[in-house]
Amino acid sequence: MRDTSRPLPFATGARAVFDLSLEGMVWSRRTLLMGLLIGLPALVAVGYRVVLATQPRAELLPPSDLYAVIVAVYWVRNVLPLAALFFATALVADEVEGKTLTYLVTRPLTRPSIFAGKFVAYVATTISLALPAVVLTFFILMSARGVSFVSPAVPDLLRDLGVTALALVAYGALFALLGVLLKRPVIPGLLFLYGWELLANLPGYLPRVTLTAWLRSLIHHRPAEEGLAGLFQQVLPAGQSLAVLVGVSAVFLAAAAWIFSTREYVLDQ
Amino acid sequence: MTRSRLAVLVSTIVVALGVVAGLGALWLNQARAAVGPLPGEALILPADARFVMGFDVKRFTASPFYARFASERGMQPEALRELEEKTGLNPARDIDQIVIVGTPGVPKGSPGLAMALGRFDLYKIGRTLETEGKANGHNVDGVSVYTFKEEKDGSVALAFLDESALLFGPREKVEAAVSSRTRGEAPLKKNATLMGLVEKVRPGSTFWMVGDQSLLAGMPTSIPAPGGSADGATVSLPALKSLTVTGDLDPQVSLSITGDAADELAAKNLADVVRGFVALMSLQAQQKPELQRLASAVTVATEQNRVLVSARVPYELLDALRPKAKPAEAAPTK
Repeated sequence: MRDTSRPLPFATGARAVFDLSLEGMVWSRRTLLMGLLIGLPALVAVGYRVVLATQPRAELLPPSDLYAVIVAVYWVRNVLPLAALFFATALVADEVEGKTLTYLVTRPLTRPSIFAGKFVAYVATTISLALPAVVLTFFILMSARGVSFVSPAVPDLLRDLGVTALALVAYGALFALLGVLLKRPVIPGLLFLYGWELLANLPGYLPRVTLTAWLRSLIHHRPAEEGLAGLFQQVLPAGQSLAVLVGVSAVFLAAAAWIFSTREYVLDQ
Repeated sequence: MTRSRLAVLVSTIVVALGVVAGLGALWLNQARAAVGPLPGEALILPADARFVMGFDVKRFTASPFYARFASERGMQPEALRELEEKTGLNPARDIDQIVIVGTPGVPKGSPGLAMALGRFDLYKIGRTLETEGKANGHNVDGVSVYTFKEEKDGSVALAFLDESALLFGPREKVEAAVSSRTRGEAPLKKNATLMGLVEKVRPGSTFWMVGDQSLLAGMPTSIPAPGGSADGATVSLPALKSLTVTGDLDPQVSLSITGDAADELAAKNLADVVRGFVALMSLQAQQKPELQRLASAVTVATEQNRVLVSARVPYELLDALRPKAKPAEAAPTK
């Protein structure tokens, strides 16, 4: 028999919270909205193929260039961080707002295991939305000019899948930290995404204090950009980028778990 | 299984199928190539090559570029043009791929050593060469080699390796490559620097080129400073260790150039020089607005000691940049 005076082991507790959180996260309006936003390029790709088939002389961006813009600008720079912001800041905030946090913290579960279960559920949900969208968009667009054009680009697909997952983890860790720190983390999160992250377009060492510059360096797509980004775009070393992203994710997660474990949440009556 | 787990499972299956399909396509593609985009047959080319260049002739001849510019001299690769003139081959129909290597000791203006891969009617080509008196055939290690009449810079030869491969270039180089093939050697593979560069070339490009330090040694070390005055001010160019160029021609001209500099600082300096020229182009936009579009089409970035320059130029822009044809002069009046 289990000693009921002691909390469940970390892995068992995290798994229980994961199951519970996944059920609530996958079938939610937030997921529907984000799924549409993340999956939109696949629909655009289908539209592109239809236009290409019906109007062969139409002046369209080459499929590889369109895919590059979708990955580098649409997903990595905009939509994936937004998805991370809306999902990860809500991991604890939703429980606080719904006044359901009490039900979780009064169970025989350690707080780090609650946080870990929720974060893994967030990663599973967002990755389940994003990766199929990347795969579908890739194949629909890259086969537009013949199947022989697919194989040369496959290494890019694998890299894009990895970077997509890493972007969700890195931004998710940061926004989960904001979520446990602040009562209303969305506005600071948006300011971070569309203010701070613009430093990535400046010369010198400033891009290194952003997440997007490290992520951008891991992908091979370099769509032509105008303005500062076009002038000063830097590609940081891939190995260093990977190490930095993994490192900061671990630090953000550890900090978020520690704050969640030690903080007393006062629920509004 | 809960609905959520089912959704995650379906998503995982989609991704797994995509990855397996992609890896399968990649594996099948690589099985046809020996090193990067270089076909196995081309490994008999000499080890002292300074550069290797590849053309996907099928893509090249199907591109809007070929349709627009093929008739203009200088727009077609020299080796392809000369092969066409000497043998009557139709590149669009007969050739799939061309690999050209540049070796030291080849006279200036010579096409280099070129290998054409495709489908060839060897009897017909041989007969054309012999009956028209263009070349004399002889046998080298069981391979028919046709030597063209002596030209001022040395003789040029064409070897019929088999029905899918022809070798064309300076006679002694062709014969050396034929002998390597007979001995089962792969000299080009011994050039580790070039092979390392070829491995990194993105397969599927319409054309690509890699060159090592020996090729780049002949490049100028300084250029006139942009907007420099008559005092002859120049800008020093940091030396490059290697150069990789890849490009596509459909549906627009896309070019990607990667230069390996000695160190990070040299790469940044070189990138700044290129950026300077791009900025100069923008400044000329008032006289020629197309230059602004051309400047916007070029991106320059650095990655450690590498300089990455990419350009995507639509054909309308190329047309706009070409000098306008002079109107026909009026007939003299009597």
